[in-house]
Amino acid sequence: MEKTQEIYRLKELAYEMRIKLLKFCGSYDGAVHIGGDLSMTEILIGLWHHAMQCDPENLSWPERDRFIMSKGHGALAMYMAMSLRGFFDYEEIISTYGQLDSKYGMHPCRVQLPALECSSGSLGQGLAMANGIALNAKRKGEKYRVYCLMGDGETGEGSVWEAAMMSSSYKLGNVVGIVDRNCQTMTFYTEDKYMSMAPYKDKWKAFGWNVLEINGNDMAAVVEALDSLPAPTGDVPTMLVCNTVKGKGVSFMEHALGWHSGCLGTEDMERALLDVQKAWDKEKEEMGR
Amino acid sequence: MKASFNFDAIFASGRDNTGRKLEELASRFDNVWVLTADTGGFLGQYKKDYGDRFVDVGIAEQNVMGTAAGLALAGNVCFVTGMIPFMTMRACEQVRTAICYQNLPVRLIGTGGGLTSGGGSTHNAMEDVALMRSLVNMTVISVADPNMIPDLLEESMTYPGPMYIRLAQGKKDRVIYEPGTAKYQIGKGLIVREGADVTIFAHGEMVGEAMDAALELEKEGIQALVADLYSIKPLDEELIMSCTRKTGKVIVLEDHLMYGGLASAVADVYADRQEMPVKFRRMGIPQVYAGFGSGAELQHKYGYDAEAVAAAVREMVNS
Repeated sequence: MEKTQEIYRLKELAYEMRIKLLKFCGSYDGAVHIGGDLSMTEILIGLWHHAMQCDPENLSWPERDRFIMSKGHGALAMYMAMSLRGFFDYEEIISTYGQLDSKYGMHPCRVQLPALECSSGSLGQGLAMANGIALNAKRKGEKYRVYCLMGDGETGEGSVWEAAMMSSSYKLGNVVGIVDRNCQTMTFYTEDKYMSMAPYKDKWKAFGWNVLEINGNDMAAVVEALDSLPAPTGDVPTMLVCNTVKGKGVSFMEHALGWHSGCLGTEDMERALLDVQKAWDKEKEEMGR
Repeated sequence: MKASFNFDAIFASGRDNTGRKLEELASRFDNVWVLTADTGGFLGQYKKDYGDRFVDVGIAEQNVMGTAAGLALAGNVCFVTGMIPFMTMRACEQVRTAICYQNLPVRLIGTGGGLTSGGGSTHNAMEDVALMRSLVNMTVISVADPNMIPDLLEESMTYPGPMYIRLAQGKKDRVIYEPGTAKYQIGKGLIVREGADVTIFAHGEMVGEAMDAALELEKEGIQALVADLYSIKPLDEELIMSCTRKTGKVIVLEDHLMYGGLASAVADVYADRQEMPVKFRRMGIPQVYAGFGSGAELQHKYGYDAEAVAAAVREMVNS
């Protein structure tokens, strides 16, 4: 019962986050990486609202879990998930996003926003940084985890695999990789005619990782995977391959190319909000709420 | 400080000096880490004594830079050693974005500066100063005398932001200054030899070539001032201008492409101040992939060894 309660709480947060993302996308006159923001909503809510040890009142808490947003173009989704947890002021995000001297831009900047563990945006660089942080923690016997969220398209970068080899070689059991496997890049479907990523899970296994494959848009599955992570004191890094849908929750965005980044007109925004609202109503009904 | 009279005969290993100093720093500071991408042959003792603060990622320069950035984010000072072209070009974006953008205390120590590597054009390092000095937050140092390294690494423990340190071959490097007499400071340059007729600005192993040329010219009654501009960024602009005003004629000598390196940095100082030397000449690597041969042979072939510098000075002084 308690677990059902927790899943419901997280689902409600995911719903709220989707609504906020879409409303912002519909009101902002610049591009928003809305497709990926929607595909990783459950992952971010699962991390920031369930799994990660963190304290919005104490950013430098030494025992906090570290989060590396390697797919930096998902910054807005991260700001939203963190603001729902009390790290940032939602109004400040939406009123200043992308503007001159804002702390909140398209790609995360630690210099402007010290609550972040690192700056990112250039794909393929996050896992190596996560390894560095994890090496330090391991040497000092610190017990926190270092989570690193990547896109599956991002793992086309060779630097990801250099780092992947290192996580296992250096026995960084405190590293948790998460791949938002939505099978789409900016311009193509990863399993279509260009660069196939399959067999995806096997690739990580071959690099010495403990790999779990889940439905990354299923809140219960995300929670179960995060709850079952091996202790950070172990020797094997864990990879959660999260199969997701780019544009999840919005009928005309799901699986469609063209929503990697863009703007949403008022009419489309209303349609999108309606989709998310309907799905949430159905969900509530099923959960007997 | 004075230049050794017999510097020609004294050599030391920049790599060994680096290894020894890093051991000492690690013994004093718990947050010192040393990383390499399969090039740490001179780090044997460090590895033995501080194995828990040593990382060899194998042949993966992008990874070594990212890992160093992560360690630095966690509060450490990281020294990354490697071959210059792969540190500064293969991993250029990691250096720029993971390290410089976040302004992290990572020190890149590169060996094989200029055409000294002996490995041909894949391993020659002729673009590195241009690339590294263009990066915001990056400090760029080129070591002339291997005995300069301990002072530099000591200062680097407290110096803010990232740093690139260029060594020549790093195995058998000329000692320029009488041991213990030179004091290095980031942002400063050194006058190795006074002179009134011409100034030769140089960095790295070319300081020795400049001295060779100056000693040869002295026999002919030409007094060349030789200045060691080891701190390429920040640059000792006051020293540059005082030498320039004194001699009027200036040569910038470097084992690097003639455009983009120290010569360009010095020319920028003149342009920004709207104060020009009477004569100005760059000597270094022309637009070629230089090919095989020793550093000395290639410097001769491409016309920027001591002999060529002496000839250039004669032409400059006598015309």
